[in-house]
Amino acid sequence: MGALGDLAGGLADALTPVNLLFALLGVVLGTAVGVLPGIGPAMTVALLLPITYALEPTAALILFAGIYYGGMYGGSTTSILLNTPGESSSIMTALEGNQMAKAGRGAAALATAALGSFVAGTIATLLLALVAPTVVDLVIGITAADYFALAVLAFVAVATVLGSSPLRGLASLGIGLYLGLVGTDVLTGQERFTLGVPQLADGIDVVVVAVALFAVGESLYVASRLRRGPVQVIAASGPWFTRRDLRRSVGPWLRGTALGFPLGALPAGGAEIPTFLSYATERKLTKHPEEFGKGAIEGVAGPEAANNAAAAGVLVPLLTLGLPTSATAAIILVAFQSYGIQPGPTLLTSESTLVWTLIASLLVGNLMLLVLNLPLARVWVQVLRVPRPYLYAGILMFASLGCYAVNADPLDLVLLLAIGLLGFAMRRYGWPVAPAIVGLILGPVAETNLRRALAISSGDLGVLLDTWFSRVVLALALLALVVPIVLRAVRGRRSTPEELAAGEGLRHPDHGHRESVGARTDGPGGEEER
Amino acid sequence: MSGAAPDPDVSTTDATGAHASAASRAPAPPAGISRGELAMVVLLGALGLYLLLDAANIAVPGSSNTIGPRFFPYLVGGVVLATALALGFRVLRGDRGPADESEDVDPDAPTSWPSVGIIVVAFLGHALLINVIGWPLAVTLMFALVAWALGARGVVRPLLAGGVLSVFVWIVFVKALNVALPGGTLLELATGWL
Repeated sequence: MGALGDLAGGLADALTPVNLLFALLGVVLGTAVGVLPGIGPAMTVALLLPITYALEPTAALILFAGIYYGGMYGGSTTSILLNTPGESSSIMTALEGNQMAKAGRGAAALATAALGSFVAGTIATLLLALVAPTVVDLVIGITAADYFALAVLAFVAVATVLGSSPLRGLASLGIGLYLGLVGTDVLTGQERFTLGVPQLADGIDVVVVAVALFAVGESLYVASRLRRGPVQVIAASGPWFTRRDLRRSVGPWLRGTALGFPLGALPAGGAEIPTFLSYATERKLTKHPEEFGKGAIEGVAGPEAANNAAAAGVLVPLLTLGLPTSATAAIILVAFQSYGIQPGPTLLTSESTLVWTLIASLLVGNLMLLVLNLPLARVWVQVLRVPRPYLYAGILMFASLGCYAVNADPLDLVLLLAIGLLGFAMRRYGWPVAPAIVGLILGPVAETNLRRALAISSGDLGVLLDTWFSRVVLALALLALVVPIVLRAVRGRRSTPEELAAGEGLRHPDHGHRESVGARTDGPGGEEER
Repeated sequence: MSGAAPDPDVSTTDATGAHASAASRAPAPPAGISRGELAMVVLLGALGLYLLLDAANIAVPGSSNTIGPRFFPYLVGGVVLATALALGFRVLRGDRGPADESEDVDPDAPTSWPSVGIIVVAFLGHALLINVIGWPLAVTLMFALVAWALGARGVVRPLLAGGVLSVFVWIVFVKALNVALPGGTLLELATGWL
């Protein structure tokens, strides 16, 4: 296979001391922010975007990839050891992991999560390397109209499939699309929605919006209803990973990977659905049904693996189509763009070395994460105990730094606060934040492709349905838009993760995922969205 | 546990903590129409109208045999307005969005507006002070105020923590990574040799 040869070449590049150093820095930083509540990979990468001015592309992207994978590992530690409900894609891990930790099996829960993440991450990254060239061959000839259809599918999926409330997801998407419109139109040079403010003529900086919605919005929201009192961390105690634990974990790891990678790779991806499906599957297949809800190791192993495999899967549409399907992927796309690189079907040929070094460094980073997480679990537990007043004050300090560093303009900080207040209101009323980010970043790309397609057809809208590809994709988008709304109207509230854990399972296995999955969790994509 | 009145001084976890917190996360039964939700919908509808009306003011240059800079704004405006109408309909029927979850959020706690207010003022203040007294000092004051609003004890510790952290961050980013960040007269003099 050519892909394996390319991967070997990438591995050689990834193993240079400098690149190893950036990978290490990335995974350490990623694990730390993954462990800390309130911060996630999306926010961290957004805050660090200004360093793309100082670093060369390979180093910066290796750093971001490390943060992306590290965040997944760190998140599982938090959900297992912190006795509070957490983010959506780690909810399933928390259900069983938390019970295991309470029953004195915390060490085994952490071990199966770390090992499962490693197994899933490695297999999924290898799959990414194998699948990416094939996908590129398939999509190399897609037209502007096809691309517009894909963008529409990504919009609809991020807005309606992942969140708990499809309409609120669409509302959030609309805000993102609006923010993306502000500024000067690229094709004609006309100002749009700038209100005559000269600073807005260049558009609203993505960093400002991302940092505002994630960091400032989250800090304000947490401040509004902070859990007072000391932080309750369960000790990671008990016997370490036994041979019996291993036997019970291997199956869930592999099944979780098999669910996570393909679902993450779909343009309607995300880590949330596969983790729910994995949990439901393991519950059905287990030989120890009595343990579920009381700390079954399968219920930690499967969802954790699915979570990590989905994270790798999300990179398939990002690298081959330039299509981000999660907030973190959207911000990594911005990092590419800030180097003048546009991910898409030609990326693998035009930036071959960069892409293969990036994929190889994901494998390297994954190994580093295993080494970092297995013996150092106790260190990360200390990070969990950071006093919350200082944690959120610190997040705001870094938000100020990242935002001011872009243009050195205090006006940006005022804008940051204003959009941060919007982020606060969105969280308070259950509007997911990720669709806004994806809309902001993918919106201008979608518009350019739409106008290019319509320019070729001289304004005939029929061009949007010219190819089978665009017809199928738009039909899928329509389904993704209509089905959740109809389902809600017909059946009312969807089942919650707790009901799922209590044994109701998926109510409608045939088109199952959506209803039992989205339930009650509003930051779509969860862990990686903060 | 979930039924008990929230007491800010008592940690809401106990032996059955996970289950109690899980139960308390079940969506609250709709208790009438939420004014906040309605306000969000009205704002969204206003945004949709603004997009549709202001799109008409975008200048379209020259030949127009292709679609110009107005088409996509009209599309977005239409989607936003339609979403606002549909969401407004649902909210009027008592639908409520599930508030976001986070490890540090107490779902039973009432909203603490003073905390939010202090943080907003502190952040706004530091934005205006940066170019006057430098980033480290401005951000130290903000850090201390925010920490204090979130329940940090004392005056010295928050100030000290903010000061040490901000000077450290400033040195790393300005001296090592060449990020432009005003340090204030004193700090810039003191670190001139670096």
